[in-house]
Amino acid sequence: MSAFWFYVFTLVFFLFDYFILAMGLNIQYGETGILNFAYIGFVALGAYVTGASSLPASAGTGQQYIMGWGLPFPLNLLLGGVAASLLAVFVALIAMRRLRTDYLAVVLISFSLVFYDITNNYVPLFNGADGLYNVPEPLAGIFKLTTNSFVPFFAIVTGLIALIMWWAMSRITKSPLGRTFRAIRDDEGVAAALGKGVFRYQLTSMLIGSFYAGIGGGLLVQFGGSFNTTSWLPAETFVVFAVIIVGGVGNNVGLLVGALLVETLLIHLPAFLPDIPGHPGLIEYIDTIVVGVLLWVMLWFRPQGVVPERIRKTPLALLQGLKSDRSTNEEVPAMSISDGAGVNEEGGVRD
Amino acid sequence: MTSGQNEAANTGSGAASALSCQEIKKSFQGVAAVTGATFDVPRGMITALIGPNGAGKTTVVNILSGMMKSDSGAMQIGATDVTNWESYKIARLGLMRTFQLSRELGGLTVLENLLVAPKHQAGESLLNIFLRPRLAKREELENTKRALEVLRTYGLYDLRDNRASELSGGQKKLLEIARAVMAQPQVLLLDEPMAGVNPALIERIGGYILDLKKQGVTVLMVEHNLNVVEKICDHVIVLAEGRTLATGRLSELRANPEVVQAYLGEVINASTTR
Ligand SMILES: Nc1ncnc2c1ncn2[C@@H]1O[C@H](COP(=O)(O)OP(=O)(O)OP(=O)(O)O)[C@@H](O)[C@H]1O
Ligand SMILES: [Mg+2]
Repeated sequence: MSAFWFYVFTLVFFLFDYFILAMGLNIQYGETGILNFAYIGFVALGAYVTGASSLPASAGTGQQYIMGWGLPFPLNLLLGGVAASLLAVFVALIAMRRLRTDYLAVVLISFSLVFYDITNNYVPLFNGADGLYNVPEPLAGIFKLTTNSFVPFFAIVTGLIALIMWWAMSRITKSPLGRTFRAIRDDEGVAAALGKGVFRYQLTSMLIGSFYAGIGGGLLVQFGGSFNTTSWLPAETFVVFAVIIVGGVGNNVGLLVGALLVETLLIHLPAFLPDIPGHPGLIEYIDTIVVGVLLWVMLWFRPQGVVPERIRKTPLALLQGLKSDRSTNEEVPAMSISDGAGVNEEGGVRD
Repeated sequence: MTSGQNEAANTGSGAASALSCQEIKKSFQGVAAVTGATFDVPRGMITALIGPNGAGKTTVVNILSGMMKSDSGAMQIGATDVTNWESYKIARLGLMRTFQLSRELGGLTVLENLLVAPKHQAGESLLNIFLRPRLAKREELENTKRALEVLRTYGLYDLRDNRASELSGGQKKLLEIARAVMAQPQVLLLDEPMAGVNPALIERIGGYILDLKKQGVTVLMVEHNLNVVEKICDHVIVLAEGRTLATGRLSELRANPEVVQAYLGEVINASTTR
């Protein structure tokens, strides 16, 4: 396979992977209003757990890690998703019960920094700063894949997984659960006054979104074969935020567009460009600036994103089943106060 | 000053009232907003909560609906003590409220605002969405039908697919009541449901409230317009400087010099100078 197609399929992989990551952050932030600034931490846990559970007990490379169960695909991947969800429940229980959104955001940032330091420095967990490497390529043995054919193969597998997860996410966002999430996003107090146990729903949203984060992370380590602390600098969270803000918060199609524009075209495509002579790494830095500027421009001129959240209209079938589609005032009762003297036109004493 | 409270005795107490509170107190950073609210809201009636601006009416509504914790005092819904309960639990007991400054769910459509209201929806559980999709769907269908009926009644049917943030002030007031009604409340707290709306709409809203009473809903409404209070309210609670000054029928209160001095006099003068 030519180098060209190798690159194309690498981009395709990142497109689908970041689509999954964007769906996870979107349910938390876009639908429920939780500013999860620790999102990349959940991605990382998914990657580490997927990697460590698929590596054999001893890889013979001097790596140290927990688990080492040699789990096959997709069990290792699912385990990564579940681990991230469990971490979300833990974090939510200690941090979310009583904190307002803005404070919670700060707590989550510091949480992600602490988690970063622990994985970076505590070697027995996930091999410290060196991280995991030589992680087995899923299904490569069964399909007799070479290093070259693995890339397109796994890009397509990731596409299928993204499709299933997109289907599941649409079910959730279209359901009454998704509607209650959006009610909480719009006004937590009103949702509570309508009998919604806000914390329980925030917990559910964190759990769902973090599962997506964990799966997206697991796919990263399975695609690249390695994962360490340079792969998830806490600022990476903002790349995922950029994906959903550029694409369109609260719209699953928008997220795919955002993943294409930000992750694929801005972050990964330039990485394949040749270095500017004498300035190694300059392109990467410029890249970060471009993403930042794009984020400003979008928030300034088109805060709803390229594909805005759509209005969920009343199902037509339902309207046809009802009486004539015309509202009338004839059944509106009246209390007839106008005969009384001195009706205050402003509706009484008002401040 | 306490003489007015004794008159509350004839409305009964305990489970005979749908909602009651005793000696509710609340201050904000040392500034007392509520200094002793004690009253019973008789079941199946429309009760007005009146008093000058800043008397603490909204604060009392916030406390009764669990959205604010009182510093001291007790409150009951029916026979259940709900002191210090969280608002969502109070709501599940059947108490709904509206807000003085409308708080619509702006990103949701008018119809969706109503659909949020029904309690314990099957489709609100992650497991049901995937394991019992038919149950969730059937329930959603029934709720949507009912919501459309409610919207029709409240004259919001044509606006059903508009974002709630796009409604006018008066429409938002209607939406708040419709949303609360959608939850099928036993007790409904309305914080100035007619403030800032035109006289025709005042009439309509008054009619809706009378209708709710016919359906057996207990209503407690904060209201400044005494014509409205006279027409539709069976019972009146006067709050002044954070405490219950008097309770009774409006005609009785008009004969109470304390009440006249604290509130009614002010209003009567205001409306006669027009
Ligand atoms: N969240 C708050 N923080 C600080 N002070 C408050 C708060 N809410 C109310 N207050 C104060 O408590 C007092 C009572 O306010 P409240 O809103 O309950 O009055 P009200 O009777 O509803 O008045 P209005 O008729 O103008 O609506 C006021 O002095 C107000 O400034
Ligand atoms: Mg008020």
